[in-house]
Amino acid sequence: MTAELAATEARRATRLPGWLVILWRNRKCRIGLVMLAGFVLVGLLAPGLAPYEPRDDSFDGSLPPGAGHWLGTTARGEDVLSQLIYGARISLVVGLAAGALSTVIALVVGLTSGYLGGLVDEILSFFTNLALVVPVLPLMITLAAYSPVKGLWLIVAVISVTGWAYGARIKRAQIISLRTRDYVTAAKFAGDSTARIIMKEIMPNMTSLVVVGFMGACLGAIGGEAGLAFLGLGDPASVSWGAMLNQANNGGAMLTGQWAWLVAPGLAFAGLMIALTLVNFGVDALSNPHLRED
Amino acid sequence: MALLEVRELSVTYRPRDAAHVHAVDRVGFDVDEGEFVGLLGESGCGKSTLGNAVLRLLDKPAAISGGSVVFDGVDVTHASEEDLRPLRWARISTVFQSSMNALNPVITVGAQFDDAFRAHDAQGDAAALMEMVALDPDVLRRYPHELSGGMRQRAALALALALRPKFVLLDEPTTGLDVVVQRTILDRLRELRAELGFAVLFISHDLGTVMEMADRVMVMYAGEIVEDQPAAAMLTRPLHPYTRGLLGSYADPRAAEVSVDYVPGRPPDLSREQTGCRFRERCPVAVAACATTHPPLAPAGPGAVRCVLGGDLPEAGQARAFSPDRPELTTTAPGEPVVSVREVVKDYRVRRGWRTTVTRAVDRVSFDLRPGRVTALVGQSGSGKTTLARLVTGIERPTSGTVAFGDLDVGGLRGRRLTRYRRHVQIVFQDPFAALNPTRTVGYALARPLRNHLGLGERAAVEKAAELLEAVGLHPAEQYLDKLPHQLSGGQRQRVVIARALAPEPSVLVADEPISMLDVSIRAEILQLLDRLARDRGIAMLYITHDLLSARLLADEVIVLRDGRVVESGPALRVIRHAEHAYTKLLLDSIPTLTRTL
Repeated sequence: MTAELAATEARRATRLPGWLVILWRNRKCRIGLVMLAGFVLVGLLAPGLAPYEPRDDSFDGSLPPGAGHWLGTTARGEDVLSQLIYGARISLVVGLAAGALSTVIALVVGLTSGYLGGLVDEILSFFTNLALVVPVLPLMITLAAYSPVKGLWLIVAVISVTGWAYGARIKRAQIISLRTRDYVTAAKFAGDSTARIIMKEIMPNMTSLVVVGFMGACLGAIGGEAGLAFLGLGDPASVSWGAMLNQANNGGAMLTGQWAWLVAPGLAFAGLMIALTLVNFGVDALSNPHLRED
Repeated sequence: MALLEVRELSVTYRPRDAAHVHAVDRVGFDVDEGEFVGLLGESGCGKSTLGNAVLRLLDKPAAISGGSVVFDGVDVTHASEEDLRPLRWARISTVFQSSMNALNPVITVGAQFDDAFRAHDAQGDAAALMEMVALDPDVLRRYPHELSGGMRQRAALALALALRPKFVLLDEPTTGLDVVVQRTILDRLRELRAELGFAVLFISHDLGTVMEMADRVMVMYAGEIVEDQPAAAMLTRPLHPYTRGLLGSYADPRAAEVSVDYVPGRPPDLSREQTGCRFRERCPVAVAACATTHPPLAPAGPGAVRCVLGGDLPEAGQARAFSPDRPELTTTAPGEPVVSVREVVKDYRVRRGWRTTVTRAVDRVSFDLRPGRVTALVGQSGSGKTTLARLVTGIERPTSGTVAFGDLDVGGLRGRRLTRYRRHVQIVFQDPFAALNPTRTVGYALARPLRNHLGLGERAAVEKAAELLEAVGLHPAEQYLDKLPHQLSGGQRQRVVIARALAPEPSVLVADEPISMLDVSIRAEILQLLDRLARDRGIAMLYITHDLLSARLLADEVIVLRDGRVVESGPALRVIRHAEHAYTKLLLDSIPTLTRTL
């Protein structure tokens, strides 16, 4: 039975959408959802929550955490807490956008090569395998360092271009098993076109797999952005957690006793990653009904 | 004291997302030392759940919710896993339907015997065990994937008998194997039991095998045992109307007159509270008391029955019987062939390393399909019947020879012309659970061929879809259009699959084992539907099967295939009643017969 059917079953008991009920019932996933909602709220309400502008460097530099500045100030005199709050926006936007983009690339490549097979599959699989074995971090650094344009969307593009291969592989395997089902043969005999068969007959049976892939891609993208920003290759115009870590490192936060400047973005980053991982436990239950009985 | 004593045993499924189902409801029975007991019932009646409960192998969300199982003085229901461990396999063992897939694929068959001996500190002669099930001891050195399904199932049986258990539970041990293989396994099983004297609980939905093998048969329906008596007595005088219905669905294909009965309707929903007799809605002889009284399993005749009538069944008319009654066939001249298959050959090339081996799946086969006539392709698995179906539908191209649809050469069609050809040739699939997309409604499935092939608009397609549903007996149609496949029973799904195949008004219908996955009690119903549709609409049908009874009932002409070659063909009546070729006779002799036990 697929996740979609089980979702229909679960819907009977409550008015909430079935998939949400299944996610919510898993304790790990529930914690993850609450944490994720917290991060999203902080990102959305950043202008209201942050005590100062993140780029406002009018304060004394290198203040320790205290009453005026809960997490102290940077070497340049910016408020660390405000930077932390605004940083949530960047991580979430990059995570969502790059996650979505690499999922789309993975879907197109995976579905095409899996359904058509033959020579097309050979060629696309070659590129997928190539993308899988190329070391991702050096490639990202090279792309980001030598790109003529800078900015947030460059980061999104670099992460998507380097992160689609694994998802494509999984989706190809899934469609190879789905395309030989009797109902696909039946659709061919009903005169449906290949595009319609893929979109209407096969895709609805892969939604849970696509969601899992998207969550994984988000996770990778957030990590990728932090890595690039830490190396100083991020978007210079925006404040992200990775950029904060970079500046804390360059500004000698450890030497001046600015522990909060270094620890806070690291913790926030770890927290977001944990939230997404916990949610994924619930998504697993969505795609595998057997896991729901625990 | 009996070897196995089951008392008031109940099993409840408690899934988190759906209502609780009382799959087994206060079942009690005994199995004596050396006794062969059959447990008969259709899918969903709780027979496999009961078997797993006896072995205490139930997995979440199912759990024993009451009663006890005592095996050889040990209370299995309450024993700890540690106490069960020495019992399992040494004194109580099992062969499942999927046992052939239960062999460990990464170690040899012999190593699996060694494991069983070592786990119980036993000594045994694996080679002798293999010879016991008529396998070469050489098989011990091989891996499971190197063996055929029948060989694997026999190896699983040898493994189950390795430690000389006193009791073996066989859960559909031959389902999914073809008749000839099934015959060898059943024959070996009978000889082994005479030799070793173990007791057996034989679970199956296949009336023929159960009746042939068992001393005593229990019939299960909706989680309860409804009849329990010696097999021979059950044949001559069934006590429960359900048993009578099941027996009616069986006939000897070689008899002069063949007629099969079916039990209309479907079992009750066990997640609801049941009042009265659970079979009353399908019962042809129900009386007023059935609605209020839930009868106990009371002694009757030489056994026991759970029926208000207490085993005295009144004569009921054979109103739902299906028998081939086609006198006009011999008189009217056959029409012009719609599809002509001439000398077709299909080779498959398998490349293994540097060597290429060529397997000839179909070897110079010729036949015609005529309007309003049913041609049956009969043979064991691997005989090339499905390959021939794929050639006729244009999924595969013949290596040589021709498949002609009128003037059209089917083997040369591609792309759009192939799609256009498929308007005229449609398929009814074997497995109704796989043939419908689980995420699409019945209305959608039916609308696609109507819109693509007939060019109907959205509203016209819905109207036509409703008509089709009525034509296949799903009434009222509006109720079914918005249903998803999982909301339908197996028989209803197969009707939807048939309706979809009829949608583009095809002239040829290829039915690939359309009833083999359905319950025995409703098979005749679907056969009757296919028969009526082919005759009334003048459709030429290619009926693929390994079941000679259904071929006899439905087909005008039978073609017997072996290893891709035609060994015998001709009018159904002649081929089945007066078979000439040894292979056809072997197929006929392999069918379990009810009369053999008498």
